[in-house]
Amino acid sequence: MSETLPEGIPRRDGSELRVGSGLALQPARAGLARGAGGAARIAAGRKAQPNGIWGMALFLCAETMLFVGVIGSYFYLDFRVSRWPPPGVKLPATLDPSVLTAVLVATSVPMALAARRARAGLPGPTVRLIAVAAFVQAGYLAFQLHQFVAELHTLSPRSSAYASAYFTLLGLHHAHVLLGVLFDLGLLFWLRSGLSAYRVTGVRAVALYWHVINAIAVAVLLTSISPSL
Amino acid sequence: MGATLSPPALEQVDRLERVWAERRGLLGWLTTTDHKRIGLMYFFTSLAFLAAGGTEALLIRTQLIGPNQKVLTPEAYDQLFTMHGITMIFLVVIPMTTGAFGNYLVPLMIGARDMAFPRMNAVSFWVFLGSGIFLYVALATGQAPNAGWFDYVPLASKQYDPGLNIDFYGYGLIFNGIASTATAINIVVTIFKLRAPGMSLNRMPLFCFAFLAAAFSLIFALPSLTLACLFLELDRQLGFHFYDVAFGGDPLLWQNLFWIFGHPEVYIIILPAFGIATSIIPTFVHRRMVLFPLVALAELLVAFLGFGVWVHHMFAVGLATEITIYFAAASMIIVIPSAIQIFSWITTILTGTPEFKTPLLWVIGFIVFFIIGGLSGITLAAIPFDQQVNASYYVVAHFHFVIFGGAVFPILGGMYYWFPKVTGRMYYERVGQLSFWLSFVGTWVTFFPMHIVGIDGMPRRIYTYAPSTGWGPLNELETIGAYVLASGLLLVILNLAVSLFRGERVGADPWEGDTLEWSTPSPPPAYNYAVIPTVTSAYPMWDERDRRRDRERLEHGQGVLARGHETPASTVQDAELDEVLAMPPYSIWPALVGLALLIGFVMLLLAHYLIAAGVGGLLAALLLAWHAHEPTQARGDAAAGPSPPLVGEPAP
Repeated sequence: MSETLPEGIPRRDGSELRVGSGLALQPARAGLARGAGGAARIAAGRKAQPNGIWGMALFLCAETMLFVGVIGSYFYLDFRVSRWPPPGVKLPATLDPSVLTAVLVATSVPMALAARRARAGLPGPTVRLIAVAAFVQAGYLAFQLHQFVAELHTLSPRSSAYASAYFTLLGLHHAHVLLGVLFDLGLLFWLRSGLSAYRVTGVRAVALYWHVINAIAVAVLLTSISPSL
Repeated sequence: MGATLSPPALEQVDRLERVWAERRGLLGWLTTTDHKRIGLMYFFTSLAFLAAGGTEALLIRTQLIGPNQKVLTPEAYDQLFTMHGITMIFLVVIPMTTGAFGNYLVPLMIGARDMAFPRMNAVSFWVFLGSGIFLYVALATGQAPNAGWFDYVPLASKQYDPGLNIDFYGYGLIFNGIASTATAINIVVTIFKLRAPGMSLNRMPLFCFAFLAAAFSLIFALPSLTLACLFLELDRQLGFHFYDVAFGGDPLLWQNLFWIFGHPEVYIIILPAFGIATSIIPTFVHRRMVLFPLVALAELLVAFLGFGVWVHHMFAVGLATEITIYFAAASMIIVIPSAIQIFSWITTILTGTPEFKTPLLWVIGFIVFFIIGGLSGITLAAIPFDQQVNASYYVVAHFHFVIFGGAVFPILGGMYYWFPKVTGRMYYERVGQLSFWLSFVGTWVTFFPMHIVGIDGMPRRIYTYAPSTGWGPLNELETIGAYVLASGLLLVILNLAVSLFRGERVGADPWEGDTLEWSTPSPPPAYNYAVIPTVTSAYPMWDERDRRRDRERLEHGQGVLARGHETPASTVQDAELDEVLAMPPYSIWPALVGLALLIGFVMLLLAHYLIAAGVGGLLAALLLAWHAHEPTQARGDAAAGPSPPLVGEPAP
C-alpha cells in the first residue's frame, strides 16, 4: 500500500524541514532546563502555547459555560414571573458590589505583570506581584462573604426562587474566587524554591484563570444588580 | 523490527525500557500514569458496568414478556430502568469511548508517548470509578435513582421522592462529570499539542477528529448538567426553590438545562463510534476514505449543531409554536453532516475491495442501524408526529437503534479490530462473525417491534400492561430478541477472553492498517515508539518510505528521546516540532484524589457539610503535594550525554 508522496515536513514559513536534508533541529527541552534562566529561554523559544495554558483555557471554557448556565437560569426565572424580585424583597444595593468588583478586576494587572516577569525569568518580582494580587483578592473575598452572611440574615434563599438564584449566583462566584486564592497560595508556596519552565506555565495559567474569573465577575455583578438598574 | 536492530539501537531501546518502567504488581496499577494501562482499566471497568446495565435490561424485558407479569415489584422496576439508562450512558458508553478507546488509541495514532496530562488522566479514571461505585451503592442498598435517566422535576423533587434515591443521582452525576471533563480536556490538548512532527491537522486520522469533536462537546455541554444537578440538590437538601412553581421557580428550567446537556450528549456518544468506523473501513476495504476533509468537517459540524436542537426533546410541554418550529428545522439540518458521513462510508466500501472480516461486519451493521435510527429521528423532529408518539415505545426504539446499533456496534467492532494490537494475539474469526450475526439479529428482533407497539400507544417506562391492549405477542418477541442479543454479546466476550490466552500470536500489523498504531509492536511498549515517527500523510502506515526512515533514525539514535520521560510537543495547526516535554512518571496522588472525592461526595449525600468541607481542604493539600514533584526530575536524564538531533541527516 505504498504511495508516492512529497518528502519532508512542511513548516509554517513555507520552507520544508526535509528529512535527511542535513537540517538538524534542536528543540527546547523543558525537562532539562534548570533555574530561572533556562525557564526564560524555554519560554522565548517556544512557538505554540504550552500544554498547561491549553489545559487551563479549556477548563475555563467549562467554568464559563457554568456561569452562562447560572446567569441564563437567573434571567429565565426572571422572565417567567411578573414581579422580580417578589413583593417585599429589598432591591439589591448597587454601589458596594460595584466598587468591590472594580477592585477585584484591578487584580488582573498585577497577575498579568507577574506572568510577564515569570516569563522573563525574574522570580523575585513574580512572587511580590502575586502576593499583592492575592492580598487584594483575599480581602475582596472576606468583604463579600461578610456581606453575603449579612444578607442571608435579611433574606432567606428558601423564601423564593429569586432568593435561591441570587445567592447561588453569588455563592458560585465566591467559590471560584476562593479557588483562585488557593491557586495563588499554592504558587507562592511553590515559587519559594525558584522558577522552572513548569512553574512559569503555572504562573501564566493562574493569571489566565484570574482574567476569566474577573471578567465573569462583571457579568455576575450586572446580573445580580439588574433589578435595581 | 526488533530482529534487525543493530547493537547501538538496541542499547537505545533498552534505555527507553528502563526509563519508562513503572512499578510492578497491584501498586503498579494504582500508581500508573501510562495511558495504555489507564485505558485498559477504563475498559474493564466499563465492561463490568456493561454487564450490570445489560442484566438490568434483561430483567426489564423479562418483566415485560407478557401482560400482568410480577417478576419485579413496581419500585424495583423504576430503579432498574433508571439505572439501566444512567449506567449505559455515563458508566459504559462515555468511559468506554473517551476513556478506554480514546486513552489507549489517541496517543498511539498521533505518534505521542502519553496523554498531555498523564496524572490528570489517572485522576479521571479514579474519579470515574468512584462515581460508578457511588451510584451502584445506591442500587445495592435499594435506594437507586428511580425517576428515569432524565429525572424530571417535580417527580424528582423532595416532595414526591423523599428518599436518598434522587440525591444519589444528583451527586453521582456531578461526580461523574468531573471525570468526563478532565478526560475531555486531556484529549483536546493531546490532539492539539502532541502530534508527531509533520502530522498537520489535515493529516490527522479521522478517528482523532471524531474524538476531538466529542471532547469539545463534553467540555461545553457537561456544565449544564452539573448546574441542573446542583440546583436540584439545593432544592432537595437545603430547601431552595429553583424548580418549585409555588415560589416562582419553574420545572421547565430543569428540562432546558438537562437537554442543553442531553442533546450534545447524544453526539458525544455517537461521534467516537464514527471515529472507530472511519478507522476500520480503510483497513478492510484497502483504500483511502472518500471525501476525507468533508468527513472531518462533518464530524465537527455535528458536534457544533448538536448544541442548537435541545428543545426537540420538549415538543410536548406546550412551548410557543415559533420556538418549536425553529428547533424542528435545526434538528433537520443535522441530516446534512450525517448524510455526508454515511455516503462517504458507503462509497468507500463500494469503491474499495472489501474484506468482510468481523470488524467490518460490525461497521456495516452500524451503518444499517444508524440509517434506520436516523430515519426515525427525522420523523421525531416533525412536531405533529412527535406529539403523537411522545413518551411511547417508538422513542425507545429510535434511541436504541442509534445508541445500541449506532454507538455500541462500532465499539464492539473496535474491540475486535484493536484486540491484536492490545494483546499481540488474534481472536477467532468464525466465532467473531457468529457473534456479530447473533447480535445483529438480536438487535433487530429486540428493538424493531418497539416502533410498532409505540405507534400502537404503549407508553415507555410502563411497569406492566393489560392483555386487552394486544401488546403481548410483540413484547414477547422483543424479550426473545433481548436474550439472543445477550448471547451474541456473551460470545464476543468469550471469544476475546479465550483468545487472550490461546489466540494465535501476531506481529505489529496483522491487518496492514493505515494509522500509526500499527507501526509499533503488539502490545505496544510503555514508551509507545522507540523513535518519534514523522508523518507526511493521513495514512502514515501506507507510506513505506517514512517508516523505513524511522528505522534508519533509530539506528542512528535520532529522535529516540531516551534521556528521560520525554515526548515531543508540536504547534497546533502544522505540527511543527516545538519542544521536548518531560512527562511525569508514575504517581500515587491521582488515586488518593479519587478516594478523597468519593469520601467528599458521600459526606455531601449524607448532608455532613462540615466534613465535606474538611475533605475539600484535604484535597487542596493533596494537589499541593502532587505538584511538589515536577516532571523535570525525570529519572536517569543526567547519565546521558548531549542528546542527538531529533530530525536530521543520518550520520554516514
